[in-house]
Amino acid sequence: MRKTFRPFPGRVAERRFGDGISVLAFIVSEGMGRRKMSSFKRKAIGKQALPVYPGTRISPASNQCLITSTGISSLDDILGGGLPLSCSLVFAAPDIHSSYGDLVQKYFFAQGLANGHRICLVGKDPEGFVKDVMWYPKSHSATPSAGDSEDEEKDEEKGDESQKVKIAWRYENMKQFKTTVGNSSSEAESYCQTFELASRVPEDVINKARKADRLRFVDVGLDALSPSAVLSEITRYMESDSSAPVRICITSLGSPVWGDLTSQNIVYFLHSLRATLRKHPHACASTSLAPEVSAASWGGAGWIDKVGWVSDGALTLSAFTANPALSSMFPAQHGLLQIHTLPSPHTLSAPSDRLSTLRGLSSSGENNLAFKCTRKRLIFETLHLDVEGGTSERRTRPSGLMVDGGGAPEAGEKVAQVEGGVGVRAKKGKKRVAFDYDF
Amino acid sequence: MPSLFSPFDLPDDIILLLSDELVAPADFILHRTLAAHLKAGLVSGRVKPKSVILSVSEGLSRWKTLAMKSNINLQTHLDLGTLEFIELSSCAEPSAEANLRGVFDRVRMALENSRPSQQPHLIILDDVSVLEWIGFSPTSVQRFIRALRSLALKANATLVLRHHVVTPNEPDELLRHLLQICTYHLEVRPLASGRSGAVSGEVALHAGFSYPSNNINPVKLLSRSSALQYCLTEAGPEFFVKGTSGGVL
Repeated sequence: MRKTFRPFPGRVAERRFGDGISVLAFIVSEGMGRRKMSSFKRKAIGKQALPVYPGTRISPASNQCLITSTGISSLDDILGGGLPLSCSLVFAAPDIHSSYGDLVQKYFFAQGLANGHRICLVGKDPEGFVKDVMWYPKSHSATPSAGDSEDEEKDEEKGDESQKVKIAWRYENMKQFKTTVGNSSSEAESYCQTFELASRVPEDVINKARKADRLRFVDVGLDALSPSAVLSEITRYMESDSSAPVRICITSLGSPVWGDLTSQNIVYFLHSLRATLRKHPHACASTSLAPEVSAASWGGAGWIDKVGWVSDGALTLSAFTANPALSSMFPAQHGLLQIHTLPSPHTLSAPSDRLSTLRGLSSSGENNLAFKCTRKRLIFETLHLDVEGGTSERRTRPSGLMVDGGGAPEAGEKVAQVEGGVGVRAKKGKKRVAFDYDF
Repeated sequence: MPSLFSPFDLPDDIILLLSDELVAPADFILHRTLAAHLKAGLVSGRVKPKSVILSVSEGLSRWKTLAMKSNINLQTHLDLGTLEFIELSSCAEPSAEANLRGVFDRVRMALENSRPSQQPHLIILDDVSVLEWIGFSPTSVQRFIRALRSLALKANATLVLRHHVVTPNEPDELLRHLLQICTYHLEVRPLASGRSGAVSGEVALHAGFSYPSNNINPVKLLSRSSALQYCLTEAGPEFFVKGTSGGVL
């Protein structure tokens, strides 16, 4: 039975809603209360009209906050929808053999460029950095098709169709096991564009942005700038125009090109940057630390925690490149993602705790997260063991359970079996299994 | 009248040390304390107590937004003069030690200009650790805190200091100093088992070195093993005892 709100005649009725909105009404008579519900007027307290910028949206956690995309939809999900304006994000990538920290910065830059945001790029040789920034797929028209992002998966599926695994009828309709999130609608697609790592941003797009003063390069090495001089440059750029969101993109903070920076200098820089951003609610910043600075012990005990305390969000991308044991244990991923802190500009707890699908905190404990870099894109996903459990010991014996013919497997073949399910034979590392249950 | 630090039945007029870790920040206690103090001031009589916020890490906008969720308009209190907001992040140039002296003088002026009220005043320093990390010398930070403490004792004010723990197994020099001057130590810790959707962390309450030995109304302390757990919701924190008896898990 549906409950209705029936005010008592002759009294002041008050109803409270979320976000400080309350409704006050004086009830003249019960009949009037029923007939003229329009006598209830919403009184919005402290609600301010936010300026609408392209490529931003109102945060699902607070109507006083705008968020913008990082260029990676799965990272947006981890952040609770995107990076809030006036917040700073720091990426530590301690692996010296890879540059995933800079790769995330390139996505952040490309997303800003695609949305017409103003961008201030700080680091060593910004012009060289821009040449390596990814762009829309070559087949991309004015608006990218929704299916582009899933191309790779579709290709794989197509190839597999001829060798489709027979699945028990009662499990056939179960949804596919997914480890990441993507853009499901065209609206989401315009908020977070789909870029392809194989494409490069055209030169005329860069030139056009520079002419319109939407792009500013601060070459730390060439100009021999101190951190405080860099901050002054950033502040000047933010103050020059507030008609469009400003993205501050800082690459390899703490690398030799920045001079001989101490841990104190870096903490002071990040702290001041955050204080500056708070005064400019149309700007946000993403910073990647140099690999040597990203090491947990670089700035003394608790170094990464200190970085987390002076920034709004701090994440570590620990690639497996230097650790063959981890690479063999998790062949599907290229590194682990560790979350230290996440932005919460208008709430006590980070909105991501409630909204993130990948972290999964709304239902139970937090998922372990990892990332992988395919030919086309960088993806953040839940960390999961391989179907074989990740170790050779868990491979089952070749027995009569094989579907496509019995007999012992040949050299180079892998056998995977899920308990109670169906074992299959996979060739050249391609594993196709039927899951007993979806989890 | 409800305690400033509900559900911990702490008295007013104390030096409270608040320690937290990155995974479980103690912001909620600071905001809750300020809201309780401002609400208590509304019913305390004609002379309102003064609240002073020394903000190192957060801007005024976040304080305002979170106070709004407790139905408190900070701008009104700022206009009335019952609240003084001093942003240290804007004036903190670590090379100039005189800045902390200037901040202290502002706090002293704020308390001296306010008339004595029935309720004690409140001083909140939201981040002691960052002051040291950005370059203030440990000696100047310790002097600043000592001066704040003596000012709070003189002005009959409650002083809340927050310190971040980045090495949980090795207390740093500053934490040791803070433990010596505080009356109570409220320790906010994350769960040892990692982040959870149902429990955000736990709070233990310890006696500080300045805890009065002849306390007439002893406060119930909470050791780490009997720490109170909490969950952060939109409306604020919800506290519950460990285990399944509270019906949370």
